[in-house]
Amino acid sequence: MADDSIEEVVKDAGEVPEIKYEYLDHTADVQLHSWGSNLTEAFEQNGMAMFGYMTELDTVDIKEKHEIIANAEDLDGLLYHFLDELLFLFSAEPYLICKKLRIEEFDTEAFKIRCSCFGEQFDLAKHPQGTEVKAITYSAMQIVQKPEKCEIFVIIDI
Amino acid sequence: MVVRKYEDELKYIERISDYSWRIKKGFQENMNVEGIFYVNKNLEALMFEELRNSCRSDGIGGFLPGMKQIANVAALPGIVGKSVGLPDIHSGYGFAIGNMAAFDMNNPLSIVSPGGVGFDINCGVRLLRTNLFEKDVRPVQEQLAQSLFDHIPVGVGSKGIIPMNARDLEEALEMGMDWSLREGYVWAEDKEHCEEYGRMLNADPSKVSVRAKKRGLPQLGTLGAGNHYAEIQVVDEIYDKWAASKMGIEETGQVCVMIHSGSRGFGHQVATDALVEMEKAMKRDKIETNDRQLACARINSEEGQNYLKAMAAAGNFAWVNRSSMTFLTRQAFAKQFNTTPDDLDMHVIYDVSHNIAKIENHVVDGKEMKLLVHRKGSTRAFPPHHPSIPVDYQLTGQPVLVGGTMGTCSYILTGTEKGLTETFGSTCHGAGRALSRAKSRRNIDYLDILEQMKTKNIAIRVASPKLVMEEAPESYKNVTDVVDTCHSAGISKKCVKLRPIAVIKG
Repeated sequence: MADDSIEEVVKDAGEVPEIKYEYLDHTADVQLHSWGSNLTEAFEQNGMAMFGYMTELDTVDIKEKHEIIANAEDLDGLLYHFLDELLFLFSAEPYLICKKLRIEEFDTEAFKIRCSCFGEQFDLAKHPQGTEVKAITYSAMQIVQKPEKCEIFVIIDI
Repeated sequence: MVVRKYEDELKYIERISDYSWRIKKGFQENMNVEGIFYVNKNLEALMFEELRNSCRSDGIGGFLPGMKQIANVAALPGIVGKSVGLPDIHSGYGFAIGNMAAFDMNNPLSIVSPGGVGFDINCGVRLLRTNLFEKDVRPVQEQLAQSLFDHIPVGVGSKGIIPMNARDLEEALEMGMDWSLREGYVWAEDKEHCEEYGRMLNADPSKVSVRAKKRGLPQLGTLGAGNHYAEIQVVDEIYDKWAASKMGIEETGQVCVMIHSGSRGFGHQVATDALVEMEKAMKRDKIETNDRQLACARINSEEGQNYLKAMAAAGNFAWVNRSSMTFLTRQAFAKQFNTTPDDLDMHVIYDVSHNIAKIENHVVDGKEMKLLVHRKGSTRAFPPHHPSIPVDYQLTGQPVLVGGTMGTCSYILTGTEKGLTETFGSTCHGAGRALSRAKSRRNIDYLDILEQMKTKNIAIRVASPKLVMEEAPESYKNVTDVVDTCHSAGISKKCVKLRPIAVIKG
């Protein structure tokens, strides 16, 4: 999929969604708080929040598309693995910094996510350096599901 | 988790001395031993405020305060002595940062926990000395800072410049600093002044995931971001002239270089992988902990053994990493002063690990025991004559390197007999955060900090402007309070104070 032309990738990605996340206080690390009208949106926003801590997302263009798959035994685990897969996408080949995430498949029974990740290779000359994310943690992890709104809290180790 | 009112929580906390407090059993469920933490008046206020804030939380968001985390660690199977909080303690993942705990290797139920080591396995501090003085460096301070910044890759997304392929990495993971020595990046005597001589022998790269290796390979020889740094420092005060002279520090004004870094993405992934494995092992072996983050496995289980072997490989990665940056630092200095690192006497004074688990023998209740000692944000501090410390420091005790924060001072301490008996030979590791990163970003102005550095005549090169706020001295506890507490409590002894003149950060 990374072979698609940039135009095709940009077209596929569509609009970049509005920001529905914030960074909350935690003594040593940072807590990502994201929300959305459903679980899918809150998950996507949480992933974006993590990338937003690594650089200024305004400087990132959509040039490549990669797909990740996350599997787990429960919902907390799924969130953890989802973020861990995204972190790996950044930390090794293709060194992708994402501007948009789109969850294509969200199986809440088998606990599986398939997600399209749009962005470009991280480039020190182009992207300001934010903070490095070491790892995702289960620390104070919360997924709050209500009919009208879904909220997620995750602490990432930095 | 037990939820009580703040006043009720306080009934479980009891003052032992001017510098230490006891956490009684019952503060959290299933505590096998008591907790203890070391703080002076100033640090004490921060600890209790954290506890009070957690009592106010409505259960959404929020996190466990350090005191609760010490108590949860005290509830882990096989723990002996006490769960110890050092003066720089603050809330962390599972274990608090600045928490140490020892587990009986001969108890089949004893556990090993990646949360008790930290994600940045073998994060540590290395100090190099030089024969230069402040007056030699001041005229070229800015050039030297720039040169160091150009030599050492820093910050998120940077890649190492030491040539490395997958096979080299395998060898480095197994050999640690012996690899650096073989490849010509370090001097033979550097190894002598590292914990474990820069190589953990039980390292087994085959127990490390491909994922960890993929993350690690591009990052070998990089400083990282967050609180990691390389600093040019000058000796500001000498408290113990004799011990300092054993370290090659003769007078104030002498220039040193401090490098604070760890095992980069490699170690982070090893920890992440182990946590996932251990979740399964906990279910199988029915290990109950007070907190999901305290994922652990029995030391003798396959998961426990695999983690210890992979952790050792990450330990070796960190030593190779610090060694690669030592090489780059020596190059930068040699070029600047148009001489050789040898002629600049750029020896490694010492290299400490402050995120690691080690097998050590300690005397508990008059009986020698083989223990697995977890130190997370805590530095080993062995007293004089201890067999594990190098010959050069047999009479002084092990040097303990305590890094300050951007623009504040750092310290060299030495290990004491009292530390060995009270805290399993462990002491503080740095300043410890006081403000959250988000709060720092909101409340501290980037330009103010740069101005502050300028006033103090400190050259600064930082890759990320946000980091300047997050890492501002105001965000941290006062390192002098931390070190003074360790000194007054007797768990280590002040030797040298250093102040920075140039800071390089991610």
